[in-house]
Amino acid sequence: MFNYLFHSCQETKTNYFEFLLLCSSPEAMAMGMAVDTVGELGFPYWNPIRRRFSPDSPFFASGNVERELLAKQVALDLTEDEINHLQKFVETESRRISCPIVGCPVRLKSLDHFEDHYNARHTASCSVCSRVYPTSRLLSIHISEAHDSFFQAKVARGYDMYECLVEGCGLKFKSYKARHRHLIDKHKFPSTFEFFKKTQLSKKRREKLQRQHVPRLKHEDDKEAASSDAMEVEDKSSVDGLVSALSTLTTSDTTPSNVSFGRRHGRGLTFVPRSVHKEKRTESSSAPGPTN
Amino acid sequence: MADDGSASNRRDPIKSSVGHVAGQRRRQQAVTVAKERRELLVRAKRLCRVGTNGDVEDSLVENEMMIDEEQPILEAQASKSVEELKSAVQYQGKGAMQKRVTALRELRRLLSKSEFPPVEAALSAGAIPLLVQCLSFGSPDEQLLESAWCLTNIAAGKPEETKALLPALPLLIAHLGEKSSTPVAEQCAWAIGNVAGEGEDLRNVLLSQGALPPLARMIFPDKGSTVRTAAWALSNLIKGPESKAAAQLVKVDGILDAILRHLKKTDEETATEIAWIIVYLSALSDIATSMLLQGGILQLLIERLATSSSLQLLIPVLRSLGNFVAVDPKAVLTILIREQNTEESIIGVLAKCLRSEHRVLKKEAAWVLSNIAAGSIEHKRMIHSTEVMPLLLRLLSTSPFDIRKEVAYVLGNLCVESAAGDGKPGIIQEHLVSIVRGGCLPGFIELVRSPDIEAARLGLQFIELVLRGMPNGEGPKLVEGEDGIDAMERFQFHENEELRVMANSLVDKYFGEDYGIDE
Repeated sequence: MFNYLFHSCQETKTNYFEFLLLCSSPEAMAMGMAVDTVGELGFPYWNPIRRRFSPDSPFFASGNVERELLAKQVALDLTEDEINHLQKFVETESRRISCPIVGCPVRLKSLDHFEDHYNARHTASCSVCSRVYPTSRLLSIHISEAHDSFFQAKVARGYDMYECLVEGCGLKFKSYKARHRHLIDKHKFPSTFEFFKKTQLSKKRREKLQRQHVPRLKHEDDKEAASSDAMEVEDKSSVDGLVSALSTLTTSDTTPSNVSFGRRHGRGLTFVPRSVHKEKRTESSSAPGPTN
Repeated sequence: MADDGSASNRRDPIKSSVGHVAGQRRRQQAVTVAKERRELLVRAKRLCRVGTNGDVEDSLVENEMMIDEEQPILEAQASKSVEELKSAVQYQGKGAMQKRVTALRELRRLLSKSEFPPVEAALSAGAIPLLVQCLSFGSPDEQLLESAWCLTNIAAGKPEETKALLPALPLLIAHLGEKSSTPVAEQCAWAIGNVAGEGEDLRNVLLSQGALPPLARMIFPDKGSTVRTAAWALSNLIKGPESKAAAQLVKVDGILDAILRHLKKTDEETATEIAWIIVYLSALSDIATSMLLQGGILQLLIERLATSSSLQLLIPVLRSLGNFVAVDPKAVLTILIREQNTEESIIGVLAKCLRSEHRVLKKEAAWVLSNIAAGSIEHKRMIHSTEVMPLLLRLLSTSPFDIRKEVAYVLGNLCVESAAGDGKPGIIQEHLVSIVRGGCLPGFIELVRSPDIEAARLGLQFIELVLRGMPNGEGPKLVEGEDGIDAMERFQFHENEELRVMANSLVDKYFGEDYGIDE
């Protein structure tokens, strides 16, 4: 794959890395250009460049194969069908793609195969909050950290509960932030990486969640409530946080919605009957809340 | 098909199974061979079935392909034939020449009509030294011809078999000279072409032994099969990846004129081989490139693209055009301005290639367009105002992956000013808006989802253009509407750090906390 990048950079005076630096360079700033430094690196904006390939570049491979297959026709007397079949065979054989998800060793034959593989193996979704993770291990880490009050209780008591996300590392940490630092320092994650994203879910996502009947009691306009959807527990090592977290957990689905504790104050809360909650809770694998 | 009783089934096993089993084995072997060929990529060797002097009698007499069961027989015959050649060569008496020619002819027949000629058997029996002897100076033409023919077919096989020709090379090269009879020279060129097609090492040997100048001179005549064979051999010889052979070719007096002349006038088969020479010259030699451009090659290439329907010819012609455009867009600009929207304009022929059913033509035509679109604002306007646009948009949604990637390059390049200085290249909003309204977003988001790093990067870059450049802040809504956020969120656990950062930064910036709040 790097071949392509390299070739595409050949023709330009600025190569790719220089370009990245340029986007956040002092010179650019001095010229009064509105250079957005989105994140740590400047975004590599689309820049039209001419791309030149050498004759033996993989880019020309299929055209070369065509020439040889057509020439071989003389020698092997292949029918047109056989030629097509051969060409497809020859092209797909050499074009297996590695799955790009971290840690996945699978190699795939075609893009369709990739889509199938991705949907089968990398879309573990949390039934509580519908976040999607690429492995079941990450999903279960998420569930512990976000929806499990006992996890938070242990954190409060000082146990090392936050596991490193990289499989095989094995280290655990006392706080979300400490683990975050470890990921950046030891495993070179970007500092913008957020395992637990605190940003607002997009409107479409919210609509999706509503349709999926995840137990939810507030109006979607309620920003604060939205950011603590469905019994999510944020990183709070303070007792305060623990208490409120526990309260949201134990009371949210069992009391009528017009009674709210602490942080929930929205307008026009939707009332969902208890019977519906009970049904939903059996589906949810992570909520250990009290029955009935 | 015999299905009348088991007895007759058993009686005719060979006949009834020939069609199916032999066909299958042929296909399997073809696949294996094709795979080898694909891996080496440079092996464009050709088996010689019909003699250069039009010797067709053999094909009339024994026309059927030998089936595989007969392979051992063939090998035995080959060994025997070599033995006979040996004694014929040693024989000094009356009628010696006729004996030699007869023995050579027999060997040549064995090596030309089967699907898989018994080359190994012939080599083990010691064919090469004998064949070399038969090439000695002063030998009669018929002897030279048959010997060169045998060598040609020996060289058309596996790498070790081709390499076996090393002792014969100096003589083969010598017989390319103008004193040789035309059929002999052509057959020697053919053998040399097979050797050159084998690999870089053999090409270097041929070059150091001086194969290039006499071979180049063979393409000066106006027509004839010799021109075609020599051009093919020459293309194998200069294909590189080192550029020294191409550089040597340019220095041959009158060669570029001959090339231009043939490109303009000659028959399609010869033009195909000439076009491959141009492909390598334009990729490997700057001198050749500028001289050919001065000689008006672009117009000739465009004419061929407009008038021909032979895939064999179109591929190298299109690629040559692509090589020239990649190197010198100014030359292209003059052509673009001169003829717009005619059948014979450059955009017109590229559109023809985009409409073709052939994958290679579509992909490489898109590549050429992407390089034109990377040029000045006039270039971009010129493409944007033509029939090419709906073609591109359709291809973005429907064609195979590698074509879609090239089309993505064209569309993106059309929307962005080619950066003069530093900082963000400016967006050409008019083009961006019309392309997005043309329905390109799903295609780009599809690329974002692909496992190919380059494609995903392109997709993200284009999404950034949409988010930044669409008027009235429509960008984010449009991207969200096509599941763009979903596609970008996938990158959280992607192993490629650059893509992770790119995707995260877009989501953070355009779909952050405030997004959707006012709805």
